[in-house]
Amino acid sequence: MKSIRGPHSIKTILSIAIAVVSISFTLLVSAILFTQFSSTIRENATVSTREIVRQVNANLNYYTNDILTIAGYARDLAKQTNDLPRFEIEQRLRSIVDSRQDIVCLVLFNLEGEAVLSTSDAKLRSAKEIKDQTWFTRALGGEGNFYFTGPHVQQLFTSSYPWVITYSQQISYLNEGGETKYGLLAIDMNFWAVSELCQNARLGSTGYVYFIDNNGKIVYHPYQQLINSDLFNEDLDAVQEHIFGTFTNTFEGRERLVIVDTVNNARWRIVGVAYMDELMSGLDQYTTVMFLVLAFCIIITILLSRTVSAYISRPIRELERLMNSVERGDFSAPPTVGGNQEVAALSQTFALMVGRIRQLMDDIVESQEMKRKFELDALQAKINPHFLYNTLDSVVWMAEQNNTEGVITMITSLAKLFRISISKGRDIITLSEELEHVRNYLIIQQIRYRDKFEFSISMEAGMENLPTIKLIVQPIVENAIYHGIKYLQEMGHIDIKVFKRKPGAVVIEVRDNGVGMDEQKLSNILSYEGPHHKGGAGIGVRNVHQRIQLYYGSDYGLEISSELDEGTLVRLVIPEQAPIHPIKVASS
Amino acid sequence: MKRVLLILLITTLLLGCSNKQQAQNKTYRIAVITMMQGGEFWGALKNGARSARSATGSVLEFLAPVNESDYEGQISAVQRAIDQQFDAIVLSPSHYTRLEDVVAKARSKGIKVVFADTSLMNVHPDFFITADYQAIGKAMAEHAFSHFAEGEPIKALVLGSMPNTSSMTAIVEALAANFAKKEGAEIVYATYSFTDEAIAKDITTSALASDPSINLIFALEEYTAHGVANALKENQQVHFIAFGTTQYEIQLLERGVIDALVVVNSFNLGYRAVMAAIDLLNGIKPIEKLVDFDLVTKESMFSEEHQRLLFQTLR
Repeated sequence: MKSIRGPHSIKTILSIAIAVVSISFTLLVSAILFTQFSSTIRENATVSTREIVRQVNANLNYYTNDILTIAGYARDLAKQTNDLPRFEIEQRLRSIVDSRQDIVCLVLFNLEGEAVLSTSDAKLRSAKEIKDQTWFTRALGGEGNFYFTGPHVQQLFTSSYPWVITYSQQISYLNEGGETKYGLLAIDMNFWAVSELCQNARLGSTGYVYFIDNNGKIVYHPYQQLINSDLFNEDLDAVQEHIFGTFTNTFEGRERLVIVDTVNNARWRIVGVAYMDELMSGLDQYTTVMFLVLAFCIIITILLSRTVSAYISRPIRELERLMNSVERGDFSAPPTVGGNQEVAALSQTFALMVGRIRQLMDDIVESQEMKRKFELDALQAKINPHFLYNTLDSVVWMAEQNNTEGVITMITSLAKLFRISISKGRDIITLSEELEHVRNYLIIQQIRYRDKFEFSISMEAGMENLPTIKLIVQPIVENAIYHGIKYLQEMGHIDIKVFKRKPGAVVIEVRDNGVGMDEQKLSNILSYEGPHHKGGAGIGVRNVHQRIQLYYGSDYGLEISSELDEGTLVRLVIPEQAPIHPIKVASS
Repeated sequence: MKRVLLILLITTLLLGCSNKQQAQNKTYRIAVITMMQGGEFWGALKNGARSARSATGSVLEFLAPVNESDYEGQISAVQRAIDQQFDAIVLSPSHYTRLEDVVAKARSKGIKVVFADTSLMNVHPDFFITADYQAIGKAMAEHAFSHFAEGEPIKALVLGSMPNTSSMTAIVEALAANFAKKEGAEIVYATYSFTDEAIAKDITTSALASDPSINLIFALEEYTAHGVANALKENQQVHFIAFGTTQYEIQLLERGVIDALVVVNSFNLGYRAVMAAIDLLNGIKPIEKLVDFDLVTKESMFSEEHQRLLFQTLR
């Protein structure tokens, strides 16, 4: 959870890029599909609803035609009163009515409201009561004039109150006297039979069909009871505006699909009402499913984008980690990373580079070590050949003088000198061996310089077997002779003392009473930067200093103090280490 | 962080979908417990409830004892509704104290209880739908008085059905109050038939025999009205105002035996009670509105409005 703002990682960029592109695409496709699907559903719903309403209307039409046919039959019979007795006519009509459950009765009234023909034996209400009823008054006005009432309680017979729809028509009939008279034919149909035609039509789950007359008044409505109680409102105004056809509007907060059609025979209009949300309920399911699928797709996309970006960026991060470790100086890990082609190639190149660096570094270390060794070897081996030549020259000279004793001393010393010099190839010898070496050297030089100087060597007891790198004292002594004692008129003195110095150091002190050095010479003598005089004073001394420092570290080395015409004091400081065995010397 | 966001996203989506589905597909089970199984009044109430069912797609079960006086039967019906874990109960309590315990129990179980028509004395329902029985009583009294000349003595017999229901008590109280205000008017006798036609007939016969000056009868329930009518036969001397919409009563109205019929729109009662229960279950506050009633006379019985009120259960 990095909270650092700044350049984003490849992984983040890749994740976001993949996710954004995929999700946008998914959303776009979903939106298009959704729009397409919803408009199709809407269209289908409208078509099917219109079809249902048309079907109801067709059924009703079929039904009313049926009633008209019966009315026509009754009309024909009413003109045959001369040929057929009244009971015969009534019998024929009754058989029709009895065969149909939906017809309550068929009665022919004269214009005074008295029954001429009737299919029912029940007691009729008074003529006055009948004459005043709507179906009676509305059908009057000429032969053939007819009227369909809305549902109402039948008021033909006493003590009987069925809900009926009345068809009434003014017809002419022959009365018993053979005169043609106007009369009114009434057919009462059971209301339930008609309402069933409408109730079976289900538009959506709570849609419905209702009828209005030509004045826009409700003739039949399935929720009539609720309308009466003000529990339900019908949007009659909108239906009045749209005489015919299909429209949608929002009524009481719900979008409704309204289909208006005219009803044949009756002056009614049929109105189908369906609620859009119910018609579109399929869409809801589709929406739910689509939402789930969409959510699933988005989740998958996010996961996938993370995985893919992780797959791509992982080798890069790995490589970065390796580079960091190399940066810290760790060349040990093999810097190869798997993964995609580009990163693999990059990693291989990097590995090659690191390999080269490692090789170069190894080379440097090796060459440095070699150099050091060569240096050491070279320094150690630096015994002036002039010395050997001069010594041998002195030996020859002594031999010519028959100074046998001198020759013996000289050669013996020389032999010892070399034996210690060689010291079986070892670099480390004991202090006593080192001092022995110096002593032999001094003996030789004493002979050569014909007692121009004296020397003394002393060592604290118990230090004999302490180790030291070899041949460090001789160059100092050589220096003291060649640059100090040689130019002296009086007797020279070289005193060598070996003692311990706290903490843990061994000091070999070489003091001479030679000509000494001025300050500049003294400061130059130990530094590398100083002017080098070939064969001049100081080379041997500096070599010793470098060797001690190379071997024992910079804490050790030479300490030199000198004064002109007074002499020089050189202290070789080396660490005190555990004693070692001296080299076995063959008995002389 | 990302992971958390992701989980949030998924849960929100899933919850959104499931919520939507719940709201759409939830069908409530509602027990409609009337005072008794038969009767025009209860029949219309049940029709109203059915109409509400069709409109909402809920599941209704009608439970009721055979007789109105059987409040024990009604208690066990409510208990059955509790046991069967209905979501709501629409109840017309037939006793204003005896049903208190079982109603309190139903409410304590989280069942929404809607009273239709009658209520209880101390236990309140989640919602109560009724007609204004005080106003009905007043309207009945005033209509009755209109049949008498000023100063003419009015001696009334009041016959209720159940003594311990809130509706009966309210009407009787209202009648008494209006009679008290009217000079020369008195209620001679007020009693209950326990919805039994024969008892009503006996009470009427003996009351008329013991006090022939009785010239007005109120029958506050349809079966009681039948009993009274049977006792009156074609007696036009006694004014008769009755509750109900039975075919027999309508015939009597047409014949002039009954002067006026009091019609409470019990279809409306049933419809709105079920709707109120569903509203409560959906967390919506139902509309507070009294159920309408009307006094129907022979003259007005075939008016379009009264046709629908009076003949609502006749087909």
